[in-house]
Amino acid sequence: MTVSRPLVGWLYISPLMLVLIPFFVLPILVVMVASVFETDGFGGLIPTFTLANYRNVLTSALTFNLYYETVKFTVLTWFFTLVLGFFIAYFLVFHVRSPLLAIGLFLICTVPFWTSNIIRMISWIPLLGKEGLINSALLRLGLIHEPLTFLLYSSFAVVVAYVHQLTIFMIVPIFNSMARIDKRVVEAAVDAGASRLDIMRLIVVPLSKSGIALGSIFVASIVMGDFFVTKVMSGGSSASVVGAFYEDISVLQYPGAAASAIVLTVILLAMVSLILRTVDIRKEITQ
Amino acid sequence: MSAAQETAALAPARAKQRAISPSRGGRPWTFYVLAALFTFYVVALYGPMICIYILSFQDVRGGLVFPMKGLSLHWFIDLFTQVRTGDVKGAFDRSIKLAILVTVITVVVSFMAAMAFRRRFPGDNVVFSLMIGSLVAPGLVLGIGVGLLFNALGIDTSWYGSALGAQLSWTLPFGVLVMFAVMSRFNPAWEEAARDLGATPWQTIRLVIIPVLAPGLVAVALFGFTLSYDEFARTLQTAGPQNTLPLEIWSMTLNVTSPSLYALGTVTTIISFTIIGTALGAIVLMQKRRGARAGGH
Amino acid sequence: MKDPTRSSNGKRGLSRRSLLKGAAAAAGAAAGSGTIAGFPTIWAQEIKDIELRHVGVSYSVVKAIGDQAAKDLGFKVTMQNLDTSAAINRFITQPNSVDIADLEGWQAKLAAKRGVIQGIQAKKIKEFDNFLPIFTKGELDGKKIPRQGISPYEALYIEKPDSTELHDGVTEWLTNVPQVYNADSIGYRPDLVGHTVTEWKDLIDPKFKGKAAILDVPAIGIMDAALCFESAGLIKYGNKGNMTKKEIDFTCDKLIELKKAGQFRATWTTFDQSVQLMAAGEVVIQSMWSPAVAAVRVKQIPCTYAPVNMKDGKEGYRGWCNGMGLMKHLTGKKLDAAYEYMNWYMSGWQGAFVSRYGYYSPVPSTAKKFMTPAEYTFWYEGKPAPEPVTDPYGVPMEVAGTVRDGGSFVDRVTNISCWNTLMDEAAYMNKRWNDFKVA
Repeated sequence: MTVSRPLVGWLYISPLMLVLIPFFVLPILVVMVASVFETDGFGGLIPTFTLANYRNVLTSALTFNLYYETVKFTVLTWFFTLVLGFFIAYFLVFHVRSPLLAIGLFLICTVPFWTSNIIRMISWIPLLGKEGLINSALLRLGLIHEPLTFLLYSSFAVVVAYVHQLTIFMIVPIFNSMARIDKRVVEAAVDAGASRLDIMRLIVVPLSKSGIALGSIFVASIVMGDFFVTKVMSGGSSASVVGAFYEDISVLQYPGAAASAIVLTVILLAMVSLILRTVDIRKEITQ
Repeated sequence: MSAAQETAALAPARAKQRAISPSRGGRPWTFYVLAALFTFYVVALYGPMICIYILSFQDVRGGLVFPMKGLSLHWFIDLFTQVRTGDVKGAFDRSIKLAILVTVITVVVSFMAAMAFRRRFPGDNVVFSLMIGSLVAPGLVLGIGVGLLFNALGIDTSWYGSALGAQLSWTLPFGVLVMFAVMSRFNPAWEEAARDLGATPWQTIRLVIIPVLAPGLVAVALFGFTLSYDEFARTLQTAGPQNTLPLEIWSMTLNVTSPSLYALGTVTTIISFTIIGTALGAIVLMQKRRGARAGGH
Repeated sequence: MKDPTRSSNGKRGLSRRSLLKGAAAAAGAAAGSGTIAGFPTIWAQEIKDIELRHVGVSYSVVKAIGDQAAKDLGFKVTMQNLDTSAAINRFITQPNSVDIADLEGWQAKLAAKRGVIQGIQAKKIKEFDNFLPIFTKGELDGKKIPRQGISPYEALYIEKPDSTELHDGVTEWLTNVPQVYNADSIGYRPDLVGHTVTEWKDLIDPKFKGKAAILDVPAIGIMDAALCFESAGLIKYGNKGNMTKKEIDFTCDKLIELKKAGQFRATWTTFDQSVQLMAAGEVVIQSMWSPAVAAVRVKQIPCTYAPVNMKDGKEGYRGWCNGMGLMKHLTGKKLDAAYEYMNWYMSGWQGAFVSRYGYYSPVPSTAKKFMTPAEYTFWYEGKPAPEPVTDPYGVPMEVAGTVRDGGSFVDRVTNISCWNTLMDEAAYMNKRWNDFKVA
């Protein structure tokens, strides 16, 4: 090797930095600076140094309530996407015999994502609404006598929408981890008399850990950082953290919104670090 | 124990085809349960889509919900001729082009970044943290930050400038993290073997690493595409003078929203199924022509 | 280099050169004649390479209008739709990326303060004297229009072209040229409500528990709520458009109380959601926008826009008005083109277009020229429709004989009790509104 190792590393990482610096590092610095300024009420920023914005965010009961709501949705979504994602990935890896068929089935799962998320959001209404397909079907089958109202504009609807949108983000990493599992190991376990549960517990789950961790990071980041699904699907009965600073931005309250954004970023960074501490993804590839 | 003995005896021969199960022949009960789960998932996935397909065939009086009004191709025609409010077709064209560009760049850059992370280099922790930061930072506020920055520097926000960059700052962390998982299954012994045989580093990458990692690269591409195509928060302030599809539709929701959106959904589904069908059909044909190769390794 | 007079298959006749010459002649002729009453008035050759970027909300900045303008004026017009929040943020943080800004009254105030718009010369706006005096003088037929909130009149004038403060009183410099406005109230199902609604307090009536809704935009929703509480006699506001902390607390606490008691079925976020809630009977009374009422009626479901005329100092409509602002960076030919564009806007085609949504044009006299007499009678005079009425795209909407809700535009506009606004305590209001949302 005539080129030194660190230099090669930096060469390879430079395109990533080329994107991160102008589109993350600098803007987040702008946001941090804005969060310690004051506003003149009309979108102008008065350069001072004040922690009042942070104080307002961190000491208000509203913040706690908003995080509670958002975390509630995140946990529920995470749980359902994990269960669904894990078993679907398991099915595709271990039970589908032809790889071509597995790919085909997988691709079928991706087709709805070619239709913009927002169109699918709108289409929940004709599906779950009082006059929607599900209610009409249930009524016609005689299973219910009145349309179910909790299907739409409720917490149920929010979780359904999230799970619908995000299960694929769980399936892909877990599928990838499971596909790595050497089938011979499983065969050996079977020969040794292991039951299905043992195999699951001792082989499949531990070896899919990194996939599960990745999927969890993806799902949690997206749900915590989203405002739009909660706003539309809950019918306004729930609020979210990002939704609150969307409204602050609407009235040009930049410092307050900036402070809330920084707080959210810090909390999410902590959460992701926690996940990565349990499963060190980086270690898996560094030598 | 006879069942296990029998399985053990058959194992070498069937190792490549067997689903994991201690039973003999046929499918275990878990297969049916899981297949049912999978079917349920696909049906649930397509539930809203079915509403879209049905409702896209309404006539001019149609709205966004049931009961259905009439039967016609009116909204498909409207989609292509743009009579009503909103520039759905234009936004769709732009979004697709941007999404494809973002996908390609994401795959290439994620691959390179993951290659870099294979060895420690000075500052690698910092880069990693910055990347995670970019993943978790709220796009809404970041978008405004980018807009302010560009304005201060006197650069115009534009489609292939700020919007591209903002979307990449969202998709690249996903891509790199997936590449981490994908690369971990890559056995460095292959790389060394290639080197021993005299391959240059570029040849090693091109002929050994990429083909082995191909399925992983496809996963990154898939994430990159879907994240870019649906991206809303970061593009809100960085799109410049023309809207992406999510922005356009979101703005339309302040006014009467036309069912041409549903027509768009139906059209994209038809296109995607055609592409998938053609691709899979081509692969099947190629495999048949190369002679039988047992499915699975 | 190929001979340009021969096409690739050697056909003679129409050469490229002669084609270009012919096109230039045609363009010149078109410029001279204009397609609408003398537009464009400046030489088309000068402005044909210009592109104007008009940015704003989808019910005000409509692509069909931009296309017609481009056709009539000869230069390119790009309409971009954003929601209200994204739009104002864009104007303030990226002013160079917009040419014509769609501004509500309070947004005009903000834009002026931030110095991103330039004053518009009232003299150069041809139809200025034909504007309804509610905008230009703050009164109609001698009656002063209420100024709770930020009225379009209040937000209209600045002293000098680069002033950052609004001027109280008439000057020759404008912040914006009003182009569409309306008076919002409550929509309800007359068949399910059982009586005619003329008062806001019916929205919070426990009789309609679980069947009422308000909208999820804090600044607007809180004013609707204020109108309800004032109507029910619970509180008297100093200025519904600029509440004190105590008034905000009262309003939000009461809203939380109502939410916990189950009064609201939902707080709607999108236009179609409001249409859906009403059409499916999930709510029988809710804050609504005029075109939403029309959309419900297109489905053959009865829906009335309550005429909440002012009485006893209570009730009244909530008004809003959107206008065109000129961004500061416009100069030279582009500025001339912008004035052309604004004058075209007020010359009637656009006025007729928005009227068919149920909105109003600030210059009814020109809009009238582009509407059939039947349409004008229905939409502006509030008289029974002499023939069936269609929506802007030709879909039949109302049968002959229907009367527009609320009567003539004079009736509605003189009964506007407050205007869309930005409050001094906006941050506090957002906070309390979110308390309501998480309750």
